[in-house]
Amino acid sequence: MNQPSNRAHPILNRRGFLSDSATALGSIALLDLLAGDRLLASESAVDLARPFVPRPGHFPAKAKKVVVIFCAGAVSQLETWDYKPELIKRDGKPLEDGPAVTFQGPAGDLARPQYQFRQRGETGKWVSDMLPHLAELTDDIAFIHSLTSKSNTHGPAENFLSTGTPLDGFPSLGSWVSYALGSENQNLPAYVAMPDPRGVPQNGSNNWGPGFLPAAFQGTPMSSKEPIRHLGPPGVSAASDRAARSLLQRVNERHLQQHPEDGKLAARIASYELAARMQLSVPEITDLSSEPAHILKSYGADDESNPTRAAFARNCILARRMIESGVRFVQLFNGAYASGGDLNWDGHSKLKEQYDKHAAILDQPAAALIKDMRARGLLEDTLVVWCTEFGRMPFFQKGAKGRDHNPDGFTCWMTGAGVKPGVSHGVTDELGQKAVENIRPLYDFNATILHLLGLDHERLTFEHNGIERRLTNVEGHVIHEILA
Amino acid sequence: MGFYCKAMIMVKSVLLATAIVVLQTQAQTAEVDFVRDVRPIFEKHCYSCHGATKQKSGLRLDVKSEAFKGGDGYGPSLIAGEADESPLIELVRSDDEYSRMPPKGEPLSAKEIGTLTRWVDAGAAWPDGIDLVQLEDRLDHWSFKPSQLPGVPATKDRQWSRNAIDHFILSRLQQAGLTPAPPADEVTWLRRVTLDLTGLPPTPQEVTAFLEEVAKGEPTYIAVVDRLLKSPRYGERWAQHWLDVVRYADTHGFEVNTERPNAWPYRDYVIEAFNNDTPYDRFIKQQLVGDAMDAGAATGFLVTASVLLPGQIGKDAPSIRLARQDSLDEIVNNIGQTFLGLSVGCARCHDHKFDPISAKDYYSMQAFVAGVEYADRKIESEESDDLKKEAEKLRQRVAHIDRRLASFVPLAHPVEDRNVNNEETNAKQNTHSFSPLKAKFVRLTIHDCNLHPSLGLIEPCIDELEIFTNEAEPRNIALASAGAKVTASGSRSSASHKLEHINDGRYGNSRSWMSDTHGRGWVMVELSEATSIASIVWGRDRLGKFTDRLATAFTLQAGLDADALTTLVYVPPQRPLVRATMNTDRFMPLRTTQLRFTVQSTNSLEPCIDELEVYNTSGDNIALASQGTVVTTSGDTIVADRHEPRFIQDGEYGNSRSWMSNAVGEGWVELKFATEQEIDRVVWGRDREDKFQDRLPTQYRIEGLVGEDWKLLADSTDRIPWTEDAQPAPSFSIAGLTLEETDEANRLLEEKRQLESKIKAAQNGQKAFAGTFRKPDDIHLLRRGDPEQPAESVTPAVLSAIDELSLPNETAEQERRKVLADWIASPENPLTARVMANRIWQWHFGVGLVETANDFGRNGAKPSHPELLDWLAQEFIRSGWSIKHMHRQIVLSSTYRQSTRHNAEAAVVDADIRLLWRYPSRRLEAEAIRDAMLAASGRLNLKMGGRGFDLFNKRGGLSGFTPVESFTDEGLRRMIYAHKVRRERDAVFGAFDCPDAGQSTPRRIESTTPIQALNLFNSRFTIEQSDAFASRVIKEVGDDVSAQIQRVYEIALNRKPAADEFAEAQPVVRAHGLQTLCRVLFNSNEFLFLP
Repeated sequence: MNQPSNRAHPILNRRGFLSDSATALGSIALLDLLAGDRLLASESAVDLARPFVPRPGHFPAKAKKVVVIFCAGAVSQLETWDYKPELIKRDGKPLEDGPAVTFQGPAGDLARPQYQFRQRGETGKWVSDMLPHLAELTDDIAFIHSLTSKSNTHGPAENFLSTGTPLDGFPSLGSWVSYALGSENQNLPAYVAMPDPRGVPQNGSNNWGPGFLPAAFQGTPMSSKEPIRHLGPPGVSAASDRAARSLLQRVNERHLQQHPEDGKLAARIASYELAARMQLSVPEITDLSSEPAHILKSYGADDESNPTRAAFARNCILARRMIESGVRFVQLFNGAYASGGDLNWDGHSKLKEQYDKHAAILDQPAAALIKDMRARGLLEDTLVVWCTEFGRMPFFQKGAKGRDHNPDGFTCWMTGAGVKPGVSHGVTDELGQKAVENIRPLYDFNATILHLLGLDHERLTFEHNGIERRLTNVEGHVIHEILA
Repeated sequence: MGFYCKAMIMVKSVLLATAIVVLQTQAQTAEVDFVRDVRPIFEKHCYSCHGATKQKSGLRLDVKSEAFKGGDGYGPSLIAGEADESPLIELVRSDDEYSRMPPKGEPLSAKEIGTLTRWVDAGAAWPDGIDLVQLEDRLDHWSFKPSQLPGVPATKDRQWSRNAIDHFILSRLQQAGLTPAPPADEVTWLRRVTLDLTGLPPTPQEVTAFLEEVAKGEPTYIAVVDRLLKSPRYGERWAQHWLDVVRYADTHGFEVNTERPNAWPYRDYVIEAFNNDTPYDRFIKQQLVGDAMDAGAATGFLVTASVLLPGQIGKDAPSIRLARQDSLDEIVNNIGQTFLGLSVGCARCHDHKFDPISAKDYYSMQAFVAGVEYADRKIESEESDDLKKEAEKLRQRVAHIDRRLASFVPLAHPVEDRNVNNEETNAKQNTHSFSPLKAKFVRLTIHDCNLHPSLGLIEPCIDELEIFTNEAEPRNIALASAGAKVTASGSRSSASHKLEHINDGRYGNSRSWMSDTHGRGWVMVELSEATSIASIVWGRDRLGKFTDRLATAFTLQAGLDADALTTLVYVPPQRPLVRATMNTDRFMPLRTTQLRFTVQSTNSLEPCIDELEVYNTSGDNIALASQGTVVTTSGDTIVADRHEPRFIQDGEYGNSRSWMSNAVGEGWVELKFATEQEIDRVVWGRDREDKFQDRLPTQYRIEGLVGEDWKLLADSTDRIPWTEDAQPAPSFSIAGLTLEETDEANRLLEEKRQLESKIKAAQNGQKAFAGTFRKPDDIHLLRRGDPEQPAESVTPAVLSAIDELSLPNETAEQERRKVLADWIASPENPLTARVMANRIWQWHFGVGLVETANDFGRNGAKPSHPELLDWLAQEFIRSGWSIKHMHRQIVLSSTYRQSTRHNAEAAVVDADIRLLWRYPSRRLEAEAIRDAMLAASGRLNLKMGGRGFDLFNKRGGLSGFTPVESFTDEGLRRMIYAHKVRRERDAVFGAFDCPDAGQSTPRRIESTTPIQALNLFNSRFTIEQSDAFASRVIKEVGDDVSAQIQRVYEIALNRKPAADEFAEAQPVVRAHGLQTLCRVLFNSNEFLFLP
């Protein structure tokens, strides 16, 4: 048998790393870089002292950046993207040989989609009226209707979507991507996670956690409402702050002179310079006052009659600004924590009533984001992903007007760089309950996102506790059918 | 117990049976030859997935023994003589394209299938010794072989080596043509070893004492190490390393992430075990079966992982089975990686890819712990029964105090009853103009002041009180220079604060009056003569620097007779903002038959109230249904057994017994009493159990029926308005009480505090999240790890590659764990001692001799010094598994005493310093940085053990966690005592590669990011500790700036500043204060790196 796979980081070559880092961080002395080079841990070509220098992927890619619109709580595929005429026909009838008990309890009768479906665009794709603005974009979207999850419980399932395993403590997709590719902008975080204005998603920070990857690669939570923490010292005058900064530099430089070859020390000095630049860039990028009125209007950011939508719209605008500035990975959450479906898409009991509210918040801003990005040419190198942790059952729960959790067949989609427009991949059964054709575990979805970014999901690894860990565990097949 | 390595693996009876068949059918097989006819078919169609590089479904067809063994969970794939029964033949023949092999490319031709069929029917002859590849013996791996005491190598330089460790290190260096770095200077070693063993820097006194003795040589060094190892700080430091590995946390993880309130006894157990130098073999056994060893809390080890609680698991049976499997998997992983350094969990779905661990081994390991449940357990001890009785008595006393305290709430001033101002005071200046009146006396009485961000309610302060005449050009006649005299309720006296400063005509904090009482006090000015006055002006700090200590509620009075003053201004104290747990509204007694509680807005969604209590003047809650009171509501959201109107008056607390309105943000409840009552108090809450903070009424009215009309008794308008980020109200406030009430309330509060800490201590002796034990589940091997595909049942057995030891299925639960513990904690186990010796080494040097501390398997790193590792393992066993003995060996070695000095030539040979040609410096961990800052600031609270302090606004739960920014008291304890919320990294120190307790962290990764810089440079924590550090130093050395700078360097860096450092620091300190230098040094590399 062969030796176990090489534990060296497989994605990078040292020469490429050095030349890239030299341009990205020109202010750092060459000596220091060389020292850093020598200090690189043997297990990895990612220099943890300078984790964000841009790095090449495994192969050339169309997508360089990603926006993930993450709908927490499990959006019903049946009310949105997966058209099932048979379900309309059998509305109110019991499902023979269906499960007696699902996640939350006994199953009730089949229930037709709660929104009208109609054909859209040139492809004639059937999409419901629930999200009219997004529905306008179907000609550009690649739908995957046959996704499956490994868990029917929000916590593990959001873990699975975000980290490729239902357990806690594994690196999120955004962490893997920033670990692999670094960032194009050293003055902003490489990976930004924007919680919904109503609160953080069900699984909280595990959705943007670094797991066992270095903490550098964790998503930085911020939004139009909540800036990055610690951008300035409380109660310290600007003059004192300047004096402290300059004294710190001299103190550290003197110390470095006594330890001239230590790259880690030099890197910490550089990190303070980066921090100072971030202190300037972050307020600049989060200040939306320079956005013209028609932009604010198109996202719905100016319409305070629905303050939650306005706040989500501001997050969407901020996401676009981040991408424009070279942030690698933006995760935009729509929907908050467990609340009986009042604050997220978990429509167990009053699905229609709640989805009316949630759809109004998601639809216009998200559609405007995609249109705005296209108009600016950003979709040339940016992938947009719309996803949710699982789907919902074709029947209502007993005694309720909502649907229970369904991990066996649900829809997510992508559009933008590298994605074939106007396609639908995979099929669920006639009632939309289970994927039956081209069954695609979420592993495949994540493998495809990595592929679009020029990363081979089987080669993007990190050794942890004796295992070459991957986002896709030992699974995953790229969905070539949706690639442009 | 015998430990041995089998020379060969996977000798199965199938093979033997096959051999017999082969002999019998030799003659007939002549027509199909394996090498000529069969193997080419395998090569063409099968080896790409079932050969040397890939073994899909665990099947391998290029090695005889493997081919006959078959794939995962499907039994043998070839049954000699029976082609029709052989899965391999069936799969290549299949018509169903989904199950046919190979899945891609051309199916086998009919001729090929015919060849294979005839070959199998004829006995599947596969001659020995003709395979083109050889199966690697997975047992031929260093860590599975017994460790033996190696000879200590002879080295040329006998001077350098102090002990065996040095000989091994030096010998390896010399092989590589390298020489060790010169020793570090004495103080550097002292700082290094102190930080390393205790996680705190040495104090200047310890440095001085050491330097006085250092000339005596080795005994001084030994004494230092003895002192450090005896310090309780040692266990607090080293337990953290262990908790990283076992991913300890104080919440349950996953979506709901609720508090695990009794996890900490395990954390305390680990600290104590390190401090006591509990022999490591016993340490292992206690963690696996401490329930049988009078160390109950130790079994917290078994259940340190994230777990789904019953309410979070789906009601469908597959969800329940999967959750149970996941929770058992975590236990097996924890045991495998922590004690044995093996990733056993890999074999959950298939045989391990690299290590000789089969899926069956994995499930056999599960069977050892199949009776463990994740739950609290009563930890029995001698005192626990007594404590329980004692706690009950104390609890009764607390209930009594609570009843009494409940009456000490300020009266509500509902909006219609308000004949008062409701203005906000300004720290800089407040001007009150009024109709002129003649006055000889003016009194300002303070009822309440704002909360200090870290200290809470403290003494109010006024820099100047001015009283202006009713003249065209008003004069301030309050001035002492104008003959006015001033008295006060009580004054603090210091250089800045004196009573006479209040009317000295000078502004600013340094010329101000400060009360001697928290939150209240009065000053009275006696004018030189009765004068007509028209306005009064006062401020906290007219210079605008200070905004704390600001009076927010006060009465301003004036008149001719000190005992009969006219009230000019009354700003009543605001009642505390509403809290989710409990709120009290007190009002003037009213006789009524009906009370209405109307919610006008909530912080989110439909309002929810867990209990509405109405007290009559005799102190009885007459809202209860059992008192004959009838409830009606505006409308309800009914969830059976959780939200129903009747729960609002059933005497039971908590979300699961509460009323919920059917309308977002509004709703009302009416209570009709059986008889007329004289009522004076309403007590209500959203969730007294403090789990839910949403759906909280934030604006409300309480009315009582008088005749036909509703009379407003209390409302939320005089409370501090609720906002999302409002500081939570203290549970009790003295604002608005009379002085007598305050004294009595304070006395009761103090008594309650003492009682509660006694109760807590008593309770804590009883419960720990240490697992409960029951009859073990039957464990089956699961195909592909899927609980819905159970295969053969298994009984407890240790890893078959390392030893033969199995138990019958009827073995009792505790006995199973005991046998497992004995097997792991045996000196003969080849892995146990090596794994721990390596961890100890790693925690001293940053990297272990084996870099992958949790993986000693074939995929793990090879040891850099195999003999040294074995020597350490043997020495560890020989010392009676004493971890402290190992520390002494290491920190007193010449290897450890090297300087960090760089050597360009050595770096070319060994860039990662694995051969230790110098001491490899590294950044301190998050906890050590925080602790060291607190040690320097003089604020470190050394209280040990018990419930953790809070890093966030709550201890667990669904929604976002708001970080605590300013810490006092308990919050200044060592960070190991922080309540660890799984997945939520601390807002400041989490970025310093602090693990989130999701998965095991065998070694802290060290990354460098601008977020770290922002956190450490700008956080309130740093700013406050810098201030405290500066105050401490000024107190110690006085006003001399040079002395201050020197002291700051001595405390933070254990050295004196050099001349140019002095020169740089002085102007900064003079211009911006000593705290600026403190902030700089907290951020300096020298402070943050192990020297």
